Amino acid sequence: MAIDAANPVFPNLPRAVGMDQVPPHVDKDLIRSLGITYSPEFLAAPHKFMADLHDRQPPLFYDVGMMGNAWQAIKHEDALFVLRHPEIFSNEAATPFPRDPDDYFYFIPQEIDPPHHRKYRNIVDPLFCPAGVAQLEGKIRKLANDLIDQFADKGEVEFTEMFGRPLPVMVFLDIMGLPQDMRDTFVSWAMELLHSNDRSRMQASMDAITAHLKGAIAEKKANPDDGVVSLIAHAQIDGRPLSDKEVFGFVCFLFIGGLDTVFATLNNIWLYLAQNPDKVREIIANPDNITAQVEELLRVWSVTFSGRILIKDHVMRGVQLKAGDRITCVLPACNFDPDVFPNPREVDFHRPRQTILAFTVGAHSCMGAHLARLEIRCALEEWLKRIPEFSVKPGAHTEYRPGGVVGPEAVPLVW
Amino acid sequence: MPKVTYIAHDGSTSTAEVPVGENVMRGALYNGIDGIVGECGGGLSCATCHCYVDDAWTAAVGGPSSKDETDLLQAAASEVKPSSRLSCQIAMTDALDGLVVHLPEAQY
Repeated sequence: MAIDAANPVFPNLPRAVGMDQVPPHVDKDLIRSLGITYSPEFLAAPHKFMADLHDRQPPLFYDVGMMGNAWQAIKHEDALFVLRHPEIFSNEAATPFPRDPDDYFYFIPQEIDPPHHRKYRNIVDPLFCPAGVAQLEGKIRKLANDLIDQFADKGEVEFTEMFGRPLPVMVFLDIMGLPQDMRDTFVSWAMELLHSNDRSRMQASMDAITAHLKGAIAEKKANPDDGVVSLIAHAQIDGRPLSDKEVFGFVCFLFIGGLDTVFATLNNIWLYLAQNPDKVREIIANPDNITAQVEELLRVWSVTFSGRILIKDHVMRGVQLKAGDRITCVLPACNFDPDVFPNPREVDFHRPRQTILAFTVGAHSCMGAHLARLEIRCALEEWLKRIPEFSVKPGAHTEYRPGGVVGPEAVPLVW
Repeated sequence: MPKVTYIAHDGSTSTAEVPVGENVMRGALYNGIDGIVGECGGGLSCATCHCYVDDAWTAAVGGPSSKDETDLLQAAASEVKPSSRLSCQIAMTDALDGLVVHLPEAQY
């Protein structure tokens, strides 16, 4: 199934949905219907729900649900295997966002398997590698402080609206060279796409994103700047310019990936810290351990999932998987795997450094990982300098947003 | 520009120019040299850019630069030796011009 990214073809890989479409090779004893990402039981406490999977479910099971049926991998070891073997577990059509079959494009580089994948990553890696994102540190710290200035003396804030959302989205729009005044519109499109759990609303959102980004790309082609949209619009691989569909698929994927994930991560972390003042004091008292603190918080507050489609039959843990089956790596659950992280629910800032799955692994490891880590570190350091003690507003009830990026709807804080 | 020679497990040799300040992992990725995966991109999160520094260069390069690197090397797929490093943590300098690293049989 070699992909020619310049000439996209709708892969027409059907998505099984519901109990009627469970393939016959699936062992009935392994079928579940847990509603991961949307059931009331999940939304009551998503990370606890995912940690509990290790006690309550087989290590590999087949989940039947309204967004599609798929194997669910919850073991760290299995996720590493799935994510590192694209010759078995392909990314083609594994991304759940709707596209027009008659005007198809690939999400780049997400849906491009090795070896071509690396050519696209090389275009943007200089900006997103650790040294590249380090250039942004001063800007991120200033932005964090500008945001805190707006509420520091008020004694309370709704964190998600006033800090969790604006910080990463504004940094991202700046990197991309997209207009800041579209911030709230972009976020609302991303929310519809990622959280509506409704295919027609997802399509409407995708149409709006498509129209806007095509306009932005055309403008950058005419007027180059130093943002990522312009960089991609003018990039070459193998001595040829990228095609229109490559440029669009690349920009569109970064747009979707950049608007919601750090937002949800910050919201999760601040909610946790507001409920765990001993951990806040530990962070403040050990500034030299900030890297490990960020990594451990990312381990327990990972927000997303990684889907693949099998392109050949494969047996894992004695379970027969077949070509055409879909599989989801439940990354937050993998980060609670007791075989890799002893006492996994304990937040321990002195764990040995290990591979966490917040950003996946394999060729498709998140290119924004270094930016995310830097944003979280800067946000923690600047916030705790200004607001070292804070708690959840009394009486507030935490609700989680359904969908493939896991975080609370609101985090009202007081200090 | 300083050069790095990467010797694959099968003995095949590739040499790449790696700018000062860039790291040895990325030198391989940008030049299409197999044997270094570097999947996390230099975030000290994966141990898939493992290399063995050639005996002639171990003194100049030095050992792991942080506890995190030492911890992560324990997760490397191939044998860890005294000369093992994560190549994303070796920053190029003019003094390392001519550096030779050997690549392990597997990165995961």
